[in-house]
Amino acid sequence: MSHKEPQKEDKARSARDQSGAGPPHSKEARVSVRSRNLVAPWSAAARRRFGPARSAPALEQSTITDEELAAAMQREKDELERTWARPTGVLGWLKDTDHKAIALRYIVTAFIFFILGGIEAALMRIQLAFPDNHFLNPDRYNQVFTVHGTTMMFLFAVPIMTALGIYFVPLMVGARDVAFPRLNLYGYYVYLIGGLLLYTGFLLNTGPDAGWFAYVPLSGPAYSPGKRVDIWAQMITFTEISALVGAVVVIGTVFKMRAPGMSLNRIPLFVWAQVVTSFMIIFAMPAVMLASSFLASDRLIDTHFFNPAEGGDAILYQHLFWFFGHPEVYIIFIPALGFISPIIITFSRRKIFGHVPLVLSLIATGFIGFGLWVHHMFATPIPQMGQSFFTAASMMISIPSGVQIFCWIATLWGAKLNLKTPLLFVLGFFGIFILGGLTGVMLASVPLDLQIHDTFFVVAHLHYVLIGGSVFPLFGAFYYWFPKWTGRLLSERAGRWNFWLMFIGFNLVFFPMHQLGLNGMPRRVYTYLPDSGWGTLNLIASIGAFVLASGVLVFIVNAVWAYRAGLVAGDNPWGGESLEWSISSPPPHYNFHNIPVVPGHYPLWQAAANATVVRGLSTTKRETLVTSVLDAQPELRFEIPGPSIWPLMVALATGVTFIVGIFTPWAFAVGAVLTLVTLTCWFFGDPNYENKPARDTGERKEVVSPRGGLQPKEV
Amino acid sequence: MNTRAVIDVSELPHHDFDTYDPVWWGNNLLLAIETSMFAILIATYFYLRQNFDLWPPPVAQLTATLRPLPQLLYGTFNTILLVLSCGPMILTDLAARRGNRAVCQIGLIICVLCGLTALVLRSLEYSAMYFRWDSNAYGSAVWFLLGMHHLHLLVLTSESVLLLVWILRREFDMKHRVDIVTVAVYWYWVVAIWIVLYAIIYFTPRLG
Repeated sequence: MSHKEPQKEDKARSARDQSGAGPPHSKEARVSVRSRNLVAPWSAAARRRFGPARSAPALEQSTITDEELAAAMQREKDELERTWARPTGVLGWLKDTDHKAIALRYIVTAFIFFILGGIEAALMRIQLAFPDNHFLNPDRYNQVFTVHGTTMMFLFAVPIMTALGIYFVPLMVGARDVAFPRLNLYGYYVYLIGGLLLYTGFLLNTGPDAGWFAYVPLSGPAYSPGKRVDIWAQMITFTEISALVGAVVVIGTVFKMRAPGMSLNRIPLFVWAQVVTSFMIIFAMPAVMLASSFLASDRLIDTHFFNPAEGGDAILYQHLFWFFGHPEVYIIFIPALGFISPIIITFSRRKIFGHVPLVLSLIATGFIGFGLWVHHMFATPIPQMGQSFFTAASMMISIPSGVQIFCWIATLWGAKLNLKTPLLFVLGFFGIFILGGLTGVMLASVPLDLQIHDTFFVVAHLHYVLIGGSVFPLFGAFYYWFPKWTGRLLSERAGRWNFWLMFIGFNLVFFPMHQLGLNGMPRRVYTYLPDSGWGTLNLIASIGAFVLASGVLVFIVNAVWAYRAGLVAGDNPWGGESLEWSISSPPPHYNFHNIPVVPGHYPLWQAAANATVVRGLSTTKRETLVTSVLDAQPELRFEIPGPSIWPLMVALATGVTFIVGIFTPWAFAVGAVLTLVTLTCWFFGDPNYENKPARDTGERKEVVSPRGGLQPKEV
Repeated sequence: MNTRAVIDVSELPHHDFDTYDPVWWGNNLLLAIETSMFAILIATYFYLRQNFDLWPPPVAQLTATLRPLPQLLYGTFNTILLVLSCGPMILTDLAARRGNRAVCQIGLIICVLCGLTALVLRSLEYSAMYFRWDSNAYGSAVWFLLGMHHLHLLVLTSESVLLLVWILRREFDMKHRVDIVTVAVYWYWVVAIWIVLYAIIYFTPRLG
């Protein structure tokens, strides 16, 4: 196939077997035994389910010439290109359901919010640089820190992690699109509406001002009149719908659309991380949906969930929020763990040490992550038994994190490292995240927590784990996958500047905060007095903030420059092993001409010269292969829905419901009708798939080889 | 001449029921989301109960103190109706698998009627309650529980109406047969959740 790299023969394989590590460009020149076996059980299953025997596909001698075959393949690709073409024009842009386009929109949007959140951080650091500063007034400062936290958590971190999943999960599992492309598009629009709502409020001086977790009673109707907190609560609703939709899309794709051969044990670690995250979203997000709905209804229609005078309970809010809020940390962190593994595999050029322990650690983190939430509430009257339980759980979660870090170190140990920028960011992750983990173990202890609760020590800790644990791997991921998105490489030289500015800047900002917290500086104060003695450390932190910001600026310049003039990357610039590197950069709209058959854990490193592929999917309909959950045996030729305007319309109906709902409860009645109408149109409107008579039935024999050769040879 | 092995999928079907179809998974994941939502809602109900000596709280009348336990009338009727509606839904489910269009149409019509009746009964139930949502935390919790289930009944009935219209007016194709089987899962779930809510809302206060 056109995507194959230059092949080496058995030499490479024996070299690999001896060294135990796969040099990136070597191929195991064998069709693995597993992949051949795969045909037989499927045929047996097919016989059981679909009636009498067809002969199992076998190697067959093709009778057509190279030129004929090449021409037939090209015709097929052209036809796929037409079938999967993205609609054009403004309307077409709004209708586009291509998962790659949606993911890139998510990434760009989330990155813009990252910059906005960063600007807010800079404003805070300017304000805190000197004692008794009056750059921001207290009210503005409240809004700035609330919008900063809200933006970074809900509009940047969660969506951008989901976005990388939406881009790469189908490519890594060998599917032509996600399982539910229109739902996916709806998720993006809902997210965008939520973000615009928050920033519209902020620019109109109606930004939320009760902190990013909006504790009652401060955020309740009595102490936060006006619309500020309502905007926060509804923004939560939007981002949470979008995250849930993304989770369903990712799980559906991973469970049902893996290429044949990618049985459960061969799923790449990136994809595992996305699955675990998605399940955490499914079980955690409903809690915050209830917390924000209760808060909104307390404020708007006078319910009493959090009103102690009528039997409500303010601590209930904290339970609901942190039952979501702590898993949220892992929802942000686990996808980043999924970026680290492929980067380490590629740049250490060997197999990962401990694939199974790594997967089990991800899953264990997912479970234990739900047992920690009360450690955010040690300063509330929780029974001592409860405190002990949550202390134990909080310390326990460092075990799977430790297992993963040791597995990665073991992989890197003694390898000939290809020290490119992505790996540099991963190494930076080790340093910063381990420091953040250590302060985490400290905060898990109740007596210590009570002393430094709500001080800058906590601010330092959470930035060490979140920036160290997520943003550094994310920037590594940007450098690693930018060539796949754009076809061009980011500059390595700028990449090094970017890394060191961010690394030094980050530590300059946040390391002094540990000491500030121990000295007693509370978080969320808009200023402090000169004789508090906090001036010097705050000034250092503020200088660090600008070093950190200049690192991000270098990245932006690098990205803009590389997009226009970067080195052309080719299909697989780093010698990666997973399926996304087997296709062109940027990928064709249909992703894979032939769905590959996965021969092992490292599909590209183990691919044979003429690897087995899947044939027989239609080129004139948007078909992809649906396979079984455990063993990825082919089950269906599933037709994926194409572009549609209705996801946007339903998202707008959702937007009207919740935004107008801030002003009048009647919006919910109107919104329900609008949603019903738009959903009906989604159901009946443009059925431009399935029932449209197909131009061809998916039979490929005539196209590929008029003489009936079902098994064409290598092009 | 090179050769290559292929897996030929050109004779695989486009749709199949249950775990074969991505739509079934999408629906079940949605139900997982909503199940955790109800679980947390129920936890909220019992959490708030800790703040009350009497649950539901007494209503002070002019003469005597009334213990306003939720009335059984509408809730019980609704429970019976919903459980019975599973009958035609099972028939519809099986008919969709067999490909029997007529049974599907009739079954769905009955189910839609059941759904509409349940919606009406639920609306009557609100007016028969002793508390409004803004009376106290008990009222808020119960209204929210009933309201969220009401919302699901509404979505479920609307979805069934859409499918009914499709199989009455358009093709009875495999894709929509799979959809009917999937909606049936949703239907059973809404009924099952209601049985749990019925026990909690109407009987746990009576137990003491």
